[in-house]
Amino acid sequence: MMRIVKSREFLVLALLVTMILAVSTVNKAVLYPITLINIVNSSLFLMLLTVGQMFVILTRGIDVSVGAIAGLSAVIFGFALNAGAPLPLAMLAALATGAVAGMVNGLGVVLIGVPPIIMTLSTLGIYRGLMRVLTGGSWIEQVPPSIKSLAVTRVYSVPVMVWVVLAVVIVTAVLMARIRAARWFYAVGDNRDGAFLLGINAAATEFAAYAFSGLFAGMAAVVFVAQIGFVPMQTGSGQELKAIAAVVLGGVSLMGGTGRIWSAVVGALFLTAVDSMMIFLKVPGSWNNAVAGAVLLSVVIADYLIRRSLRNRQAVARAAEMRGADGPTMRMTEARS
Amino acid sequence: MLDASTRPAAVTLRDIWKVFDGVPVLRGIDFELRAGEVHALLGGNGSGKSTTVKIITGAYRPTEGRIEVMGKLASFARPSEAHARGIYMVPQEPQIFPSLSVLENLTMGLAGDAASNEARARALADEIGLSVDFAATGGSISIANQQLVEIVRGLMRNAKVLILDEPTSSLTRREVNSLALQMRALTARGIAILFISHRLDEVLEFSDRVSVLRDGSFVLSAPVAGLTPEGLIEAMLPSDLGQAGAARPARPALTGDSAPVLELRGLSGRAFRDVSLTLRPGEVVGLAGVVGSGRTELAEAIFGIDPEVTGEVWIGGQQVTARTPRRCMEMGLAYLPEDRHAHGIFLELPAAQTISASALALGQRALLSRRREEDFAQGFIGRLRIKLTSAQQVARTLSGGNQQKVVLAKALALNPRAVILDEPTRGIDASARQDVYRIIRELTDAGVGVLVISSEMAEIAQLADRVLVMKRGVLSRLGDGAQSLEQISAAAFDAPGRATDTQNPAVPS
Repeated sequence: MMRIVKSREFLVLALLVTMILAVSTVNKAVLYPITLINIVNSSLFLMLLTVGQMFVILTRGIDVSVGAIAGLSAVIFGFALNAGAPLPLAMLAALATGAVAGMVNGLGVVLIGVPPIIMTLSTLGIYRGLMRVLTGGSWIEQVPPSIKSLAVTRVYSVPVMVWVVLAVVIVTAVLMARIRAARWFYAVGDNRDGAFLLGINAAATEFAAYAFSGLFAGMAAVVFVAQIGFVPMQTGSGQELKAIAAVVLGGVSLMGGTGRIWSAVVGALFLTAVDSMMIFLKVPGSWNNAVAGAVLLSVVIADYLIRRSLRNRQAVARAAEMRGADGPTMRMTEARS
Repeated sequence: MLDASTRPAAVTLRDIWKVFDGVPVLRGIDFELRAGEVHALLGGNGSGKSTTVKIITGAYRPTEGRIEVMGKLASFARPSEAHARGIYMVPQEPQIFPSLSVLENLTMGLAGDAASNEARARALADEIGLSVDFAATGGSISIANQQLVEIVRGLMRNAKVLILDEPTSSLTRREVNSLALQMRALTARGIAILFISHRLDEVLEFSDRVSVLRDGSFVLSAPVAGLTPEGLIEAMLPSDLGQAGAARPARPALTGDSAPVLELRGLSGRAFRDVSLTLRPGEVVGLAGVVGSGRTELAEAIFGIDPEVTGEVWIGGQQVTARTPRRCMEMGLAYLPEDRHAHGIFLELPAAQTISASALALGQRALLSRRREEDFAQGFIGRLRIKLTSAQQVARTLSGGNQQKVVLAKALALNPRAVILDEPTRGIDASARQDVYRIIRELTDAGVGVLVISSEMAEIAQLADRVLVMKRGVLSRLGDGAQSLEQISAAAFDAPGRATDTQNPAVPS
């Protein structure tokens, strides 16, 4: 129990609840169930990007191309639908686009050894450029209404998309807990040499992380198109930084090796909620980014200070123990005789 | 105890050669590690000890020769192939996943189902005496337990050969005692242990047999019975030590009343206790100590790199409190770090820019003059005989010896009155080494005080006017004129009863 309470996810979740309650003193509407459902609904796109990003960050990499991958996948999704492809096939095309785009990142990082930030920054440009080339720079507007109906369908008054993403997240979490190779993401990020010495295929693990990141960006694209009903050129633009921020906010270390699906989910929810709260407080939308950045910084600093004081206390205790036990009280030769 | 000679061989090396860039590091060694024995491997710096270990564990391939494991020919391209043949190395720094749980650390990378792996890990941990919370993170348990985690990892892989590299260097007395018991329990199961240590008393206490490497060949391989620390030291020392000792020219006696350029009074830090010493102008004080004795930590504490220190440091007759590297440099103290790549040189920049870096850092001028920098660097390039095509040559492309001279030039660019040189000749060739020795002599002739830290006892014996020995964080003094190589080595290698402790600080019990 204490472990859960002490975790970063709990800290962020508690902050989220506090923030919503605080805003409710100004504007009661924030506590209406429909409001809360809407917050979750509008966090789905970011949440999927964030879960994908988490795999990469676990292995001590970074993927700044996820927004562009989502954009490119959305374009392919729109093309497929407009070409008359059945919905499942169009979805598959979007997911495949995302996965392949992610694999390209993985190949560059693993096979050629390009630093992750450089590799994904380059593909960020390439994928965004490709989007423009494919569409000639114009929005894809006439997406069949069938896809839009996906987003408005509600089950138990919750949009079906929420249920679907929830299912994806839970399945991913269960697989992460159950599949042995899932631990490799942690091992490779925590101590790559150590993982290699134990016979773990570190290169394949890193490759898989980028592929998953792309795949989740593809899923995010499907959710996005369904929710807004067309594909604007800016799809996913700037979202890569938000995804990284959400991962960090949720407690995943950029140094690799720590983090859970949970962290990504909570981080994405929190960042989305901050945007919504601004609306309820009638703060102009132009403040959103500044406030989100300030919130991220304060949470990370607070967490760092808490952890440092914990660590210092442990170090002092350990040093005292060492000093007590390490006196040259007895030599080995004497101990034997 | 079983007769050692009747046990089957676990690992056999036959006529192994290893040549790097045309320089033989191993010259046709033969070696046998038998099942159920603890076999100590000894050797000084550059003896080929770590190369031998790397060949056994699959990190290096031998240039020539045969490796046999359990009587069968083996050839390893990478460490995991050695694992598959039952060879597991516990490195000096355990390869722990600090953020993962102890259980995950133990079972990571294993085949088989999780439940049976966990059951096996628990059983082996009980047997070995690893009693920690399996849910705790790997980074939160003590170094001793991290080492046990590594040993259990090896056993989970059915290791028949365990290589323990300096396993006792960061353990407390109590932990060393229990490790000794665990080693015995392992050999009773027929496991062969290759035990690497600098501590001769532990070697003699724990091992069945000892092999000593010197200059790439085995000079001794014998059962431990009948061996003495003195015999081991003699075997480890270079055969040409007579000439090395004689190379030191007779120097005029230093006047004891010249004011010290560097003085430490009761300095204590993380890895050393109550260190006092004085360094006078024109004097070379040698600080001998094996890896892990606390000598580098002492140097970093003096130079203000590690601020967690108590005691006083005086430079040029003034006490320096709130030390930072910058403050020390301003006071006239220069420091040559042990690891030149990590801390000494700008590898990707022209050599001239490393040489001028410390002078520029303290300089008053706001604007840089390329020509002045070049002239400044050229002065040192000539004086130190640095071999390069131009002062603008990128440091990465220089040889190790010339890189070291560049770093030395950077330290000397400040005209220091005292210099601390930490392992000044590590990894450089013989002629560069002679140049470094010459530079040290020139410095002392000019009245600079030099503190040389080295784990090469022959180097200390050759250079130093006075010798201090650091051992497990405590400094002991060898009497004047009593600095034969054997005496320095005996003190530094921790041979029981040999160190002439004249300074025995109070130690909290």
